Amino acid sequence: MSESTQGGSLLNGAAPVTFFLSRRAVWQSALAVLILSIIGVGAFILHKTPGSGATASFSLLVGAAIGIVFERGRFCFFCILRDFIEPDGTGQRNSGGLFAILTALAVGGIGYAIVFGAFLPNAGAGRLPPQAHIGPVSPVLVAAGVAFGVGMALSGACISGHLYRLGEGYARAPIALFGALIGFGIGFLTWYTLYVEMLVRAPVVWLPSILGYAGSLILHLAVLGGLALFLLRYLPEVPARVNGKITVQSIYRSLTQERWNPIATGALVGIIGVFLYFRVEPLGVTAQLGSISRTILDNANVLSERLPGLDTFAGCATQVVDAIMDNGWLIGGLVAASFSAALLSNRFQVSQLTLRNSATALLGGILQGWGAMMALGCTVGTLLSGISAFALSGWVFAIAVFAGVWLGIRLRLHQS
Amino acid sequence: MTVRIRIIAVLLLLVATMVAVPFINAQDAVESSIVSADWLAENLDNPQVRVIEVSVIPGVYERGHIPGAVNFVWHTDFVDTVYRDIVSADNFQALVQAAGINQDTTVVLYGDNNNWFAAWGAWIFNLYGFEDVRLLDGGRVKWEADGRELSTSVPTFETGNFTIGDINADLRSFKADVLSIVEGENAGTLIDIRSAAEFNGEIFAPEGIQELSIRAGHIPGAINVPWGQNVREDGTFKSVEELRELYAGLGIDGTGPIVTYCRIGERAALTWFVLRELLGYEVAVYDGSWTEWGNSVGVPIENPAGTVWGGR
Repeated sequence: MSESTQGGSLLNGAAPVTFFLSRRAVWQSALAVLILSIIGVGAFILHKTPGSGATASFSLLVGAAIGIVFERGRFCFFCILRDFIEPDGTGQRNSGGLFAILTALAVGGIGYAIVFGAFLPNAGAGRLPPQAHIGPVSPVLVAAGVAFGVGMALSGACISGHLYRLGEGYARAPIALFGALIGFGIGFLTWYTLYVEMLVRAPVVWLPSILGYAGSLILHLAVLGGLALFLLRYLPEVPARVNGKITVQSIYRSLTQERWNPIATGALVGIIGVFLYFRVEPLGVTAQLGSISRTILDNANVLSERLPGLDTFAGCATQVVDAIMDNGWLIGGLVAASFSAALLSNRFQVSQLTLRNSATALLGGILQGWGAMMALGCTVGTLLSGISAFALSGWVFAIAVFAGVWLGIRLRLHQS
Repeated sequence: MTVRIRIIAVLLLLVATMVAVPFINAQDAVESSIVSADWLAENLDNPQVRVIEVSVIPGVYERGHIPGAVNFVWHTDFVDTVYRDIVSADNFQALVQAAGINQDTTVVLYGDNNNWFAAWGAWIFNLYGFEDVRLLDGGRVKWEADGRELSTSVPTFETGNFTIGDINADLRSFKADVLSIVEGENAGTLIDIRSAAEFNGEIFAPEGIQELSIRAGHIPGAINVPWGQNVREDGTFKSVEELRELYAGLGIDGTGPIVTYCRIGERAALTWFVLRELLGYEVAVYDGSWTEWGNSVGVPIENPAGTVWGGR
């Protein structure tokens, strides 16, 4: 299933007066509403758990919101980068999706600056804001980003992309996610060597400690604005707007049938990320996956109990767990809500699996798991949440991922 | 009124006073040492009261604290990060002044983990000669469970005039002091507030916590009173009568000096707080605790379980 194809229409006939849904569409919509209701009731029940209930419940709801926005806005890092890197049949690059990422980073940066101002009023106090994804910058981060990018090209999506496309019936997603678990395991086994050789001396650069919040935000918006200006020339022609009254039908149609505008999608992703940081932790999708690997290795006595340094860096933290983490609720909500959104828009379709595309999905997943382990997060945790938090590590990872995807596409690794 | 009736009346009054005094004292001790959430809620705007949060889970203070509360970080503010020692006098004075605390301020501490680290803070304040320091009963958990107000804004204050006076050295025990008790040179009762499994040497550290000592067990002669026995289900302290009974039942009645210890010293501060501030006993914290004692060369231990570190 190609992510760039338009979703089929649920509406039979274009007449604006009648609003007729096919029988299949009714069933799909009913199932979608049921799943979303279960998420809502689940969050309500979860909230009553003493101690951890409030954050688990909030994480589940945020996951659901992210799942809907990712699915409806096609917030798939690989698809967005491929549209830009690989010219289409007419030789045109399409930078449209990149505006979603730039907007998410711009809105996220503004939001993080506001929250940081409350959490840590003095940016120069020599401390880092709690939990923000500000990681070490070293050749390991570059290698992790390139591996992650190549893995994206091989498997057809990044980890967050696989999670939401799992909800659309993308059959390679579970294989790639399984591969990511293996990749995480390899990452844990290589951690000690790379930590003592490189990471222990790697600088953790947080721009506000040098430039202050205002200076960092100005630089942040200037860089993003510059990139946006440069990318304008690669925007395809915008279709003419259809005039007409806004009706319930037209709203339903634009919410569930049409692709959401990249700017609106990006702004929502940015705001949701800020809300989650404010209430629970920075947005990320790999902490639970990595923790599953770590727990399995720990139970098998393959891994030493303590990984030096790992538990002192901020990022998508992994731990040996015996319960679902907040991050687990988040990715659960993400997959379930994406499935609902796909049902509502009639985009759920189980894709074809072949031996070849399964193998590449697995291999790509392994590369991504290793990359996300060494970079302490993926395109969401390290790139989005890191850059929004003014971490140099976020930018370095972003450039490395871009290089990896570019390399993967040049080597035609994605055509499998 | 006849003389006889007067005498009887006076005697009755005397008896009543004698009976009541311990209770009045107990009440005073409670009021000058712990505050209820209701009291704190009414005094949030009182400029004479300064609230300090001492939590160790990252982001807990930042995502919402009691309005007006200042954040003190146990790992860097209350201990020395280079020496294994408590925070130095100079650093502590600067920290406390920056929180706008004057000589006559009432300091209320609270935090996560059942006030363990807040109790450590209360101990440090007392060590450095600041007496009017109290704990919020039930700590952060109860404040949250009661659905009370939280704020994310960080207050700033004009520098206070707190200065460190005489150091209250009696409140702290070092390894040599403890050894002299073990060897019978000095009188004293040792209270080990860790779990029974740690006390008996079955495990080297609580579950999920890194092993930091290479011997398991306890200091010879110590009595095991796990810290949790001081509090009720909701985290609030048991009544003074209950606490007095609990410790009296173990032979600890305040007639001699007491030393509390745990693994790194923070939970021992909670029992120290109960024994000194609520019961008025003479008690010190051995903050070196088991991480020092269990690693020290040449000091005796008792290890009923007989576990051998790293052995098979």
